[in-house]
Amino acid sequence: MINRKTSVILIAPALALLGLLFLYPLGYSLIWAFRDEELGGWGLQNFIKSWGLYSSDILFTLIIVTLSTAIIGALSVAIGGYLTLGENRVALTILRWLYRWPLFIPFVVAAQLMRTFLAKNGMMNNIIVQAGLMEPLQAASFLDWRGIVITFVWKQTPFVALLVAGAMAALDRSTIEAARNLGAGRTRILFQIVVPQVATTLMVGLILSYVVMMSVLSVPMMINAQTPTMITVDMAWRINAYSDYGVANALGFISYAMTAVIAWVYLRQGVREGGNPA
Amino acid sequence: MSILRSTLTAVLLALLAFAIFGPITNMLIWSVAETWYFPAKLPQSYGFSFWERVFRPQGNAMESLWNSVLIALFTVLASLAVAIPAGLALGRGRLPWRALFLLLFLLPQAFPSIAVHMNIARIFYGLGLNGTYTGVVLVHTIQGLVFSVWIATAAFAAVDRELEEAAANIGASPFTVFRTVTLPLALPGLMASAIFVFLISLDEFTGTFFVGVPDVTTMPLLLFTASMEGNYQIASITALILLVPSVGFMLFIERFLKSDVLAKVGS
Amino acid sequence: MRPKIANLFASAAIALVTAGAAHAEGVLNVASGGSQNMVDYVTDYLGPLFEEQNPGWTVNVVGTGPGNAGSQAILEKIKAQAGNDAWDTDVVVMTQLKTGEMVTEGLLQQYVGDIGTGSLATRDTAKVALGTDVEGYVMPMFHSQTAIAYNPDLVSNPPASFDELKTWTAENKGAFGYNGIKNGMSGVAFTAAWMYAYAGNTDQLMNGPYDPELKNGWDAALADLKAFNENVTFTPGNAGTLDMMNRGEIVMGPVWVDMFYTWQADGRLNPGLKLLLPEPGMPGQPYYYAIPAKAENADAARKFIELATSPEVQAEGIVKRFNWYPGIDAQHVEGALDKAVWDKLFTDVTPEDLAAKGKPFPLGPFFDDIREAYELKVSN
Repeated sequence: MINRKTSVILIAPALALLGLLFLYPLGYSLIWAFRDEELGGWGLQNFIKSWGLYSSDILFTLIIVTLSTAIIGALSVAIGGYLTLGENRVALTILRWLYRWPLFIPFVVAAQLMRTFLAKNGMMNNIIVQAGLMEPLQAASFLDWRGIVITFVWKQTPFVALLVAGAMAALDRSTIEAARNLGAGRTRILFQIVVPQVATTLMVGLILSYVVMMSVLSVPMMINAQTPTMITVDMAWRINAYSDYGVANALGFISYAMTAVIAWVYLRQGVREGGNPA
Repeated sequence: MSILRSTLTAVLLALLAFAIFGPITNMLIWSVAETWYFPAKLPQSYGFSFWERVFRPQGNAMESLWNSVLIALFTVLASLAVAIPAGLALGRGRLPWRALFLLLFLLPQAFPSIAVHMNIARIFYGLGLNGTYTGVVLVHTIQGLVFSVWIATAAFAAVDRELEEAAANIGASPFTVFRTVTLPLALPGLMASAIFVFLISLDEFTGTFFVGVPDVTTMPLLLFTASMEGNYQIASITALILLVPSVGFMLFIERFLKSDVLAKVGS
Repeated sequence: MRPKIANLFASAAIALVTAGAAHAEGVLNVASGGSQNMVDYVTDYLGPLFEEQNPGWTVNVVGTGPGNAGSQAILEKIKAQAGNDAWDTDVVVMTQLKTGEMVTEGLLQQYVGDIGTGSLATRDTAKVALGTDVEGYVMPMFHSQTAIAYNPDLVSNPPASFDELKTWTAENKGAFGYNGIKNGMSGVAFTAAWMYAYAGNTDQLMNGPYDPELKNGWDAALADLKAFNENVTFTPGNAGTLDMMNRGEIVMGPVWVDMFYTWQADGRLNPGLKLLLPEPGMPGQPYYYAIPAKAENADAARKFIELATSPEVQAEGIVKRFNWYPGIDAQHVEGALDKAVWDKLFTDVTPEDLAAKGKPFPLGPFFDDIREAYELKVSN
């Protein structure tokens, strides 16, 4: 355990960087969220207006991002679990080679690809129809909330899976082998032995994914044509159409609060369990 | 039973392969499509004219790519330099308001930055950092900080204390314990964070525009505009170009990781 | 770290330092808040031409993306350096809305009187940008126009007016697509055109004076639009509309004329698709050349814009190579082109159509009212 003074010294450079180059400019900007132009004073007018105009978008964002995070969590545990416990060498090699590719595709490009891939007459439906699995008339467009979720899961699962698989690989194999010798099935080993030990890494990966998805503009912009849409689109719209930094920042504040609450709950819970989470 | 299981594994892998490579195949096709419109299921004609357009001499594509890669490398170094001590303090230290600090480090990613960049640019102009590589590296480091700090914290928190204590008990100094036990054990996590920071820097657009332009131009600045407005050919080519340094960096990290970690753990 | 890697980083560091210093003496920095073709126009055509005529100068252009979002980024970058003595951007290419804001905030300089081509642009849009007086601050780079694109193979009898369009979409549910108002200007333009057609006071909406009470009379037009929206497909963005036409998911939708031609030229759109301007018309807008108030190279910037707005360049570059409507008055350009090229520009939309049905966007405050009313009463 590092003592208090050393800890503070160690974190100082990172905090200084963050404070000077981000928190300070952010403060400048955030102040506008609490500015009431009509009264010429301070107040919550921008938050009231944000809620009035965009409450459904705020809920939509919460649902989309939470749903995506849950799916990402499930898939990355499955991928990491198979990489750790799988026995079929060929399958392991293929999976290891396979799962990481979307990590390297920038969000802007991923959104574009999904737009032509998931559309009604897009490549996915074309392939399924060609394969005889579906009638052309049944083809439906996924360019709505489902498209956003699919794109997020596609792009972010490798990120979490990479972290989780790394943490699983670093585990002490002896407990796993012991359980295996006692005749425990792989699913049981995964959920009772492996996942609890990598829970911290998994949660960190999921929170980071959650954060990233909350702030991506290109995906909802390019994929979702319907209303409601995500908060980032509304923020961009307030600034670009009305030069309204007040409501935009209020929305940003709400967006950050939605992340912070989740991260906070996770951090508190870890402390209560006596561990040192994150 | 085992045949059934193998078949199931094969089917699942095939589905995963379709899910991952479907969109990527789409991308590969678009990168060489010259004409492709309804009702054709595949391009009516193929060619490399968009590649020529991207790499035309006036386009400065190679210079921008080189800039992008160097900036990304330095961003990785800068963020590891601040994140390793910070992660140590947050993961292993006794820090007041630890949770609050962790929440603060989430901010640069969590607060949609569209409203903040102007103010960042204002401060950078004030400091004379605009239009410099240092400025761009710093702005990317800030964006990557959440990944490097959180992952470093998790990596250090996961290191088995008993191993450290054992080393300390045989008389190793704290720094030696850190160098020979803690760091090698945390290294996989740190390297993963390095990969993510590299990718973030490589794909960053807005911060580079506000802080780097007009003197420093990166690949995304050159090509994302075309990508954003639905030029699928340029978007696909951009992704393919950026894939080369990304995969290269990952392979480099993994080699580095294997040889060094194994060497240290073994000794 | 192993020595080999350390060497690699050291040489990279040296490369970084020297790359910054290697720039030529005179660099004219152009920021373009427009589509990629507008950036390509400077990179491939105008920049090299300027460099040829002004030895020692290099033109450096960066694009920030189309629509008000791209122009907003330029505005913010200029604003961020307002406290400095010399600004790093010499020429900006921006939308009407954001140019107006920059003039109001004192971020631009008057230059039109100082250049030889200043008298060649006399249309209203060269003087007023959505109600803001910008005379002397701007030269139009080109004019762009929204129009309805359609597939003549599938639509034999295209609607010639908004009334006919309403009937047509009711009969062909989902075949018409547009992008709402948050996702790009072609959808905004369609909405504005709808208001011109059905909200009344069309002249006042375009030319003022502003009346905050006017919006109270829009309920019927907006309810009508909401009902109309039931029968349309929403598309993700300006490119999204073209994209869905590309895949045959919609057969009709509002698009920017120049984007439409670019997509056709790039092979992403059926060359058989056509354009039309329905009664009573749709909005268009120019992109403006302007010079930031403290641009470091203001003299070179003037020369650059003078070149860019000369009849020869407008003819060869804007009309012939890039399919835009000229920024300066048409009669100065027409003479510099052969007739075939000129006619090609007006294949679907004739000059008479354009004169009669090419409208400006609404006056700034009305524009805000229309967008907010749409958010509240149509999409909510």
